[in-house]
Amino acid sequence: MNRLQVSLNVYPRLEFLPVATSFVEKASTAFGLAATEALALTLATEEVFTYLCGAAAAGTEVLISCRGHGYYVEEEIAFKAQEFDMRAFNLTGATSFEDEGRTRETGLLIASRMVDLFRFAESGDRLNLTLVKEKAYPAYSGEAVSTAKPLDEFVVRAPDTEELKAFVSLTNSRYQRYLIPSSFSYPGKVVDMVAVGDYRAAVAVDPPGSIGGGLVWRRESAKMVEFYGPYLFAQPPESTMAEALIDACLHDVARSESLGLISRYPTPEIPADYFEPLGSLAFRQADGALVELTACYRHLEEDLGSAVWADPRLEPFLSREYGRLAFAREIRRVEDAGESSWPFSVLSAEFDRSQARVTLRPVWWGRDSEEIVGAHVETLRKEALSCLFFEMDLGKAWQTHFTAALLDNGFEPRLMIPYGGAGDIVVFEHTSDGSGS
Amino acid sequence: MTHVALDRLLPEYVRKFTAYIPSKPDEELMKLYGCSRLFRLNNNENALGPPPAAQEVVRKYPPPRAAVYPSGDVYYLRYKLASLFGMDPNQFIVGNGANEVIGFVIKAFCEKGDNIVTADRTFAVYEWMAQFSGFEPRLAPLRDYAFDEEGLLARIDERTKILFLCNPNNPTGMYWNEEKLRGCLDRIQDRLIVVVDEAYCEFVEADDFPDGLALIREYPNVVVFRTFSKMYGLAGLRVGYLAGSPDVVDAIRRTCIVYSVNALAQEAALAALGDQEHIARTRIMVAEGKRFLKKEIARLGLPMIVGEGNFVMIKLPMSDALAYRKLMTEGVMVRAMTGFRVPNHIRVTVATMDAMQAFVQALKKVLESQVRSARALGSL
Repeated sequence: MNRLQVSLNVYPRLEFLPVATSFVEKASTAFGLAATEALALTLATEEVFTYLCGAAAAGTEVLISCRGHGYYVEEEIAFKAQEFDMRAFNLTGATSFEDEGRTRETGLLIASRMVDLFRFAESGDRLNLTLVKEKAYPAYSGEAVSTAKPLDEFVVRAPDTEELKAFVSLTNSRYQRYLIPSSFSYPGKVVDMVAVGDYRAAVAVDPPGSIGGGLVWRRESAKMVEFYGPYLFAQPPESTMAEALIDACLHDVARSESLGLISRYPTPEIPADYFEPLGSLAFRQADGALVELTACYRHLEEDLGSAVWADPRLEPFLSREYGRLAFAREIRRVEDAGESSWPFSVLSAEFDRSQARVTLRPVWWGRDSEEIVGAHVETLRKEALSCLFFEMDLGKAWQTHFTAALLDNGFEPRLMIPYGGAGDIVVFEHTSDGSGS
Repeated sequence: MTHVALDRLLPEYVRKFTAYIPSKPDEELMKLYGCSRLFRLNNNENALGPPPAAQEVVRKYPPPRAAVYPSGDVYYLRYKLASLFGMDPNQFIVGNGANEVIGFVIKAFCEKGDNIVTADRTFAVYEWMAQFSGFEPRLAPLRDYAFDEEGLLARIDERTKILFLCNPNNPTGMYWNEEKLRGCLDRIQDRLIVVVDEAYCEFVEADDFPDGLALIREYPNVVVFRTFSKMYGLAGLRVGYLAGSPDVVDAIRRTCIVYSVNALAQEAALAALGDQEHIARTRIMVAEGKRFLKKEIARLGLPMIVGEGNFVMIKLPMSDALAYRKLMTEGVMVRAMTGFRVPNHIRVTVATMDAMQAFVQALKKVLESQVRSARALGSL
């Protein structure tokens, strides 16, 4: 698997548009994208570049970089923007079609819909826009490639490629969809994710090679590891396989920079003694009914305590959770002192359409936050996306300004993930009637 | 502000390494966790403090002497060590805690492509020091909480320069007796340096525990580590030492930092060394504490691993990191063992009876609150 990077410095002028698009098309093909996906990334680049021709600061260059990551290609566009309007990246940016003054930004909206992920980062006076397009993989066929049986003895180890695919198939055939990461719909993608190190995997196998269970984990952020499983196949209730799989994961992450291990979708086999229950979120089962799952967390080190930013309306929730979980925290209040602020808010959205699940995250806060949050809820509900979450990073004071907009739009805080971002993360869940679930 | 090109400047093995972040000062922790007193049962310090003569040295140390450099090679302490153990002063190197001498040995013997071998669940600094110096640490799983000879030997190859044995092992307290240690040394012969870390040797009660220093004459590739931080209660002054055969120590000395042991530490260690009454008093405290804990922890129905050393390890029916935080709110600081790759265990320093009682009381409360919280939330 490659992790190479190629870059292009180009002036944001229309005559260079073919240079930029050709570069991205050739690079993404070289990094393994098929023609359809390469074209989608190319068209997204065309829209962004065209926009930059009008918006980037005069005389500055745009740096376009493409990196291969095995199962996806990441394109980064770095530029100096004079009037770059990130509102176009809101899901609700479609409203701008009606706004004659903002038709230029509709290109950005189109670009955002053509890729699997986009994100912004600021670096000094430059903006970095990252676009990610994943490879296309054959979907799971619906058949398990091997049968499962109770194992008399087993060892836990990293699987080879075929074992990994068999493990993914067994998991798909024996567990409810909401307990499985969406990547498992594509066994080949999971193999590539393990190959580049984005996933780590362990399976329990007996001497002849039968697979009794497995677990995967990935680094979710600098300090957080998320795991999926443990998945056990036909093992007796007294089996110690689940503990052995969790131990293998802990052995791998215990002396790393990660501070916490979390499972948002714990299977019934998870050894409860190993974890701290964080709080519950609702997920959709195959029959459409909602089920509540308690997120399991394990801190990996002795906690040194920290400070978090919070809106006063969030304090009762935080005090209760910090007390229950014995996390030492100094809660610093963030209150409006009448200071000037940006007029527009921007949210990013991560979709898992198979689970009717969307997670919103703040990109930018502005005075229209209540309206923007409300518009997102309305848009997503219209698309029958019933599980709406919002993640707020308490390590970034500006994100706490969204608290009022969330509470007033029917969201309620459900769980606190210690060190989930720059600080602790609070996950809000939208309740359909706005009165709590 | 311009950015330093760390991506280019940092070697990959340093880039990948995560810095160890030590605990905050006690006062800060007490503020954070809202407790009015704190029993430190996390670092295996000696609750009785240093021996009386060493305390006197600290008390009467003349402030103007702080302006004068210490003995660069810790002259008098090396001579006293030599006299006490019947060796030559040049067979000793004293460092700023035993951690520093670990670095001396690795720097002296390892070069690009080399590796070190040790256990997976032992004192972490051997592994860390090798890792951030660019050498591969090869880790053999413990067997029955003790170093596994076969597992260690299987990981040795022609690029292995050092085998680190922690005897007794921190955190399990298990040890290799003389026969076992000799057997392993005979199999290794002189292929590599064998470090025997005896940080807790003064606590050992077992008759068949080997004296590493006595083995050096017979096995010149053996290097022994000892410390003044545990039994001698001088952890705050940082003094540790290594001993080996003259040729080996001469080689290690080439990588040493001289003047790293401060003058007060040198004098306190000199006064402390060999105080048999202090050792006896401490052993009595540890024996009483272990008896008490065995009885109380058994009442709680928890498995406890009691080996040699002034610590025990307890298996909990909950996450050790959560237990750490809850015990902190009760004013008791223990060591959570996930970082040692022993999940759901805590290591507890055996200290004075008031601390042991406070620990047991706090642990009872934590376990009760865990049961209540599990009931309230229902099973996962």
